[in-house]
Amino acid sequence: MVNSLIFKNETEKLLNYLYESQKDNIEAAAQTMAECIEKGGVIHVFGSGHSTGCAIDLAGRIGSLVPIHICEPADCVIFRKVSFEEFTDHTNVFERKPGVAQFIYNLYNIKPNDIFFVLSNSGINGIGIDFAASAKEHGHKVIVITSMKHTLAENSRHPSGKKLYMLGDIVLDNCGPHGDALLETDDIEKVTAVSSICNNAIMQSASARTIEILQQHNYVPPVLNCDENHDKNLKDKYKGRI
Amino acid sequence: MNVIKEYFDTLIANIDRVYDSQKHNVVKAANMMAECMEQGGVIQLFGTEQGIEFCNELNYRAGGIAYFHNYSLNHLLMHNIITKEDVYVTKKAYQDASLIDKMEEMYQLDNRDMYCLISQSGNEPLIIELAKKAKERGQKIIAVVNKQSYDKNNGKLLDYADMYLDIDSADPDLALNINGVKCCQTGTTVANILAQMIHAEIYRYYVNKFGKAPVLLSANINQADIHNNALTDPYERRIR
Repeated sequence: MVNSLIFKNETEKLLNYLYESQKDNIEAAAQTMAECIEKGGVIHVFGSGHSTGCAIDLAGRIGSLVPIHICEPADCVIFRKVSFEEFTDHTNVFERKPGVAQFIYNLYNIKPNDIFFVLSNSGINGIGIDFAASAKEHGHKVIVITSMKHTLAENSRHPSGKKLYMLGDIVLDNCGPHGDALLETDDIEKVTAVSSICNNAIMQSASARTIEILQQHNYVPPVLNCDENHDKNLKDKYKGRI
Repeated sequence: MNVIKEYFDTLIANIDRVYDSQKHNVVKAANMMAECMEQGGVIQLFGTEQGIEFCNELNYRAGGIAYFHNYSLNHLLMHNIITKEDVYVTKKAYQDASLIDKMEEMYQLDNRDMYCLISQSGNEPLIIELAKKAKERGQKIIAVVNKQSYDKNNGKLLDYADMYLDIDSADPDLALNINGVKCCQTGTTVANILAQMIHAEIYRYYVNKFGKAPVLLSANINQADIHNNALTDPYERRIR
């Protein structure tokens, strides 16, 4: 049986479970984020497909941390490195091609104290794995958000056989089911995806704790507050990086 | 209470509140969309700012209904018609009504389609222009707004809508007050919940009427591409 009430109730149960099982990992992520900000670093958030949405929720809003940078595969086209036709060719999925991630990584202005969130629900595609590997090779901390249920149920599509969680200094399990969809049906398919909802909850709560840690360290949290001068000064501080 | 827990509790309370206030409208919206799909229509999506995530949640999503298409500013970005700064920093892309024509030149649209348009304030010229065009073409429109923000900003989107859903969030959307710093949001996630409720109710409509529904599988499951392409290929470029 599927309806919106069942979806709402099951999602709330999942969010409660997510909190209980991941609170220590969220705390660890927030400590890393706070350390990064105190050292003048930027938090890069990379996701492909629907995982990009989480970065959109985090960045550039009243009440948001300023040093957040969204990295996404479409940047290859925006920076004129790849044609629109190649990027959108469904017969040869761009994000599954080897070498694409390093290409994207090199598009950005990355400084030594920066850290990376890499989000992939499946954690099996080359693009997320290679992007995380690039960040680590350059000495950056990598925080992974993935569905452990999904990633453990599927084979890696990366030539090394690695999965994304293997590259994380911190690994946050979004606790979503295999295939992302939450509700069982009488047929083969399941319906109603939850990864975006869980990823947002993880990132927003980690941001909240980051702000609190910065306050405890007597560091003024760089949060947009709708005051034009205040917000402009903050954005200028990170100009060209966010 | 620690702030991590406080955030989760606030989010769940907001989900409960929005569920209660919107559950009947979600069923109505889902039925309207399902009827459009039954007639061969596609639900055209467009969202401003964080509304982009609501559209992504409906469009080509694992465990979601197949027949949605997204008007995406990313398509204009990738053709270098606008810049990332226009979208994410100055946000002037949302003020330029002429961009709708440029997007529509890229898409395969059909008069059987209907629209689902999301904007917190409902007052950006870009989304109003799209609503106006859809209305002129005689197509149905479901709007999704944050009514608090809409009223405060003299929104116009509802003038064109056949019905609307309310994200029912505070304006500005600030979930926590941490020692005087107002921060963190729940509105986008609550909108995602509404999007998934729509999927659930369209699924229910289809199964009640036909015994099965056009549901996409996660592309990251073995063999999913075959299942998904079988659903979307007959629509050619209308969906992807």
